[in-house]
Amino acid sequence: MDKTILRGRAWVFNDDVDTDLIYHNKYLAETDPKNMPKYSFEYFPGKENFAKEVKEGDFVVAGTNFGCGSSREHAVYCLKYAGVPVILAESFSRIYYRNAINNGYPVLFVKGLSQAIKDGKIKDGDELEVNLLKGEIKDVTNGNTFHGDAVADLEKDIMKAGGLIEYLKEKAEEKKK
Amino acid sequence: MGKTMIEKIMRRSSGKEIKVGERIWCNIDLSTARDFGGANCVLQFEEVTDKKGKVWNPDKVAFTFDLQAPSHSEKVSVNQKIIREFAKQQGIKKVFDVNWGIGQHVLLENGLVKPGDVILGTDSHMNLLGAVGAFATGVGNTDIVASWFEGTNWFRVPETMKVTVNGSFKKGVCMRDLLTHIVGTLGADGMFFMSVEFYGDTIERSSLSDRITLCSMVTEMSGKVGLIMPNGKVLDWLVERAGKEVLDRVKTLSADPDAVYCQELVFNVDDLEPMTSCPDAPDNVKKVREVAGAHVDQVHIGSCSNGRFEDISAAFEVLKAANFKIAPGMRAIVTPATREVMKQCAEAGYIQKFLEAGIIFTNPTCALCTAEHFGTLPSGDVGMSTTNRNFIGKVGKGSHTYLASPMTAMATAVRGKVTDPRDILG
Repeated sequence: MDKTILRGRAWVFNDDVDTDLIYHNKYLAETDPKNMPKYSFEYFPGKENFAKEVKEGDFVVAGTNFGCGSSREHAVYCLKYAGVPVILAESFSRIYYRNAINNGYPVLFVKGLSQAIKDGKIKDGDELEVNLLKGEIKDVTNGNTFHGDAVADLEKDIMKAGGLIEYLKEKAEEKKK
Repeated sequence: MGKTMIEKIMRRSSGKEIKVGERIWCNIDLSTARDFGGANCVLQFEEVTDKKGKVWNPDKVAFTFDLQAPSHSEKVSVNQKIIREFAKQQGIKKVFDVNWGIGQHVLLENGLVKPGDVILGTDSHMNLLGAVGAFATGVGNTDIVASWFEGTNWFRVPETMKVTVNGSFKKGVCMRDLLTHIVGTLGADGMFFMSVEFYGDTIERSSLSDRITLCSMVTEMSGKVGLIMPNGKVLDWLVERAGKEVLDRVKTLSADPDAVYCQELVFNVDDLEPMTSCPDAPDNVKKVREVAGAHVDQVHIGSCSNGRFEDISAAFEVLKAANFKIAPGMRAIVTPATREVMKQCAEAGYIQKFLEAGIIFTNPTCALCTAEHFGTLPSGDVGMSTTNRNFIGKVGKGSHTYLASPMTAMATAVRGKVTDPRDILG
C-alpha cells in the first residue's frame, strides 16, 4: 500500500492544548519513551480514554498553538509511540514543534482547522484520509477537505534524516569524507 | 537597517550575518538540564553514542536539581543519581544539587549568565534569563543531547515585538499584575515564536526580580524570549557576579535605535489594578476585585516567576498589615527561589513571622508547579498561586487555580477568599 496516503480515525482537540493535558507532569520522571503512551491525554476532560482506545494509525487533530506549555519531550513521545502517524493542527507551539521535528515526527500545519473544529466540520471518530505528499486531508465521513503544509527549510532536512541526532550524525559522516 | 537585540545576539553566536525567518546554527554558551528531563538527556546521549560519547565542553554543561528537591520518590531519586554519576564521568563540575534552588535563578546568582549568552535548558521558563539580556530557551532532551555533540544547535531567527511600559505602580499593584494584564490582552499565542524587547521608564527603574517576573511569562504567550539589557543597579549586580565582560556585551548587543519591529505595544501602569488569571488558563484574566470573595483553600507564593526576595517581601508587607494573621483553615505555603533568597528571608526576620502565622516556609524548589510535589490539590479544591500556569488539573486532577501577584496571594491567605491587597494595605 502507498504509505503516503494514510487512513485513520480523528481525535479532535481545541486550541491551546497544553503539554499537561497531553502528558501530565505527574509522570515526568518516566525516562523510557515507550512507556509514555499509556499516560496520553489522561488529564484532558472528555478524552481520558484516549490511551486505552487509540488505535495505530489514528490522527490527533487540533486548533492553534498545539503543545503550549512545558518543554517535556514526553508529550511528543507519548503520541509517536501510541502509533499516531502525524499530528494535524492549525499551528504548533514553539517547543512542541521543535521536539516533533527533532524526533522526525511529522506535523502538518492545516489552514482553517481551528474554525472547522469549532464549526463541527471535523469531529471525533471521523474517518480521515491524509495524503502526506500533497498535504491533502479528506474527512471521508462528511466529505470536507483541508489543506496542510508540511515543514520546509532546515526542518525538512532534519525530518528526512529521521531526526536531529541522525541529521547531525549524517553531517559528521560527510565531514569525514 | 538597524538590528534588534536577538538579531545581534544571533549574529554573534552564529558568526554570520542573519535575517529574520532564516534557520541558523548558534554556538551554545551553556547547555543545562534539570532533574526533570536531565536523566532523559543522559540516557539518550549514552544510547546514541554507545556510551562512548564525551560532551563537547564540560565547563559549558550544567545540571540543576529543582523539580523535586530534595527528591521524595524513588524514581526521581534514581534520575538524580543518573545525572550525578554522568557529571562525574564527564568532568562536569557545575552540578547544583538539591540544596540550591530553582535552576535559572541559581545560574544567574552564580555568575554563569551574561547578556548575549545562548543558553539551553529543559525548562520552558529558561527564557526568564532574558531579564539580563541572555537568549535562553527551553528545549526538550533531544535538543540538549544534540548540543552536547559540538556545542551548537539550530534556531529560527525570530521577529521582534517591542513593548514599552511607562508609569508607576500604585500601592498594592506590581509587575506581576502588568504581566497578567498583558497575557490577558494578547492571549496564549500573542507572542507566537517572537522575541520581545521591553522598554520604558517602568522597566528602566525596575528591579531584577521584576524583570524576571516579566520575562518568565513570555512563554505563556508562546514567545521565544523576552529581553531587557541590564542598566543601573541590575547592571552593577550582574557585573559583580558575572564579571566586567558584561559591560562590553551590553554595549555591543543593545538594539539599534532604527531596529525593525514586527509589532509595537505601549502600556501605562499608572491606573493598573491587581489582576488575576482565573481558572483554567493564564489568559483567562480578570481584575482581582471582579472575582473578590471567591473561596480559596490554599495559597502558594514562590516559583521561577515570583520567588525572589522582593516578591516575598511584598507578601510579607501584606501579612504585616494584617497583624500577621491568616484565615483559619487556610493552607499557605511560601517557597523561596534559591538558598540565597532563603538566607535573605532569614536575615530579614521573615521566616520567624511566617511560622508564627502558621504559614509553611519551605526550602528552595520549584514546588507547586507540578502535582508531584507537596501541596498537591485534591479534586474540587481551589488554589491561588504565584506560579505561571493554571491549566486544568495541573497541580491535582479536578482542582483549579488562580494565578496572581505575591501581594494578592497573601491578601487571599489573610482573608481566606480572593482579596484585593489594597483592601488590607489601605
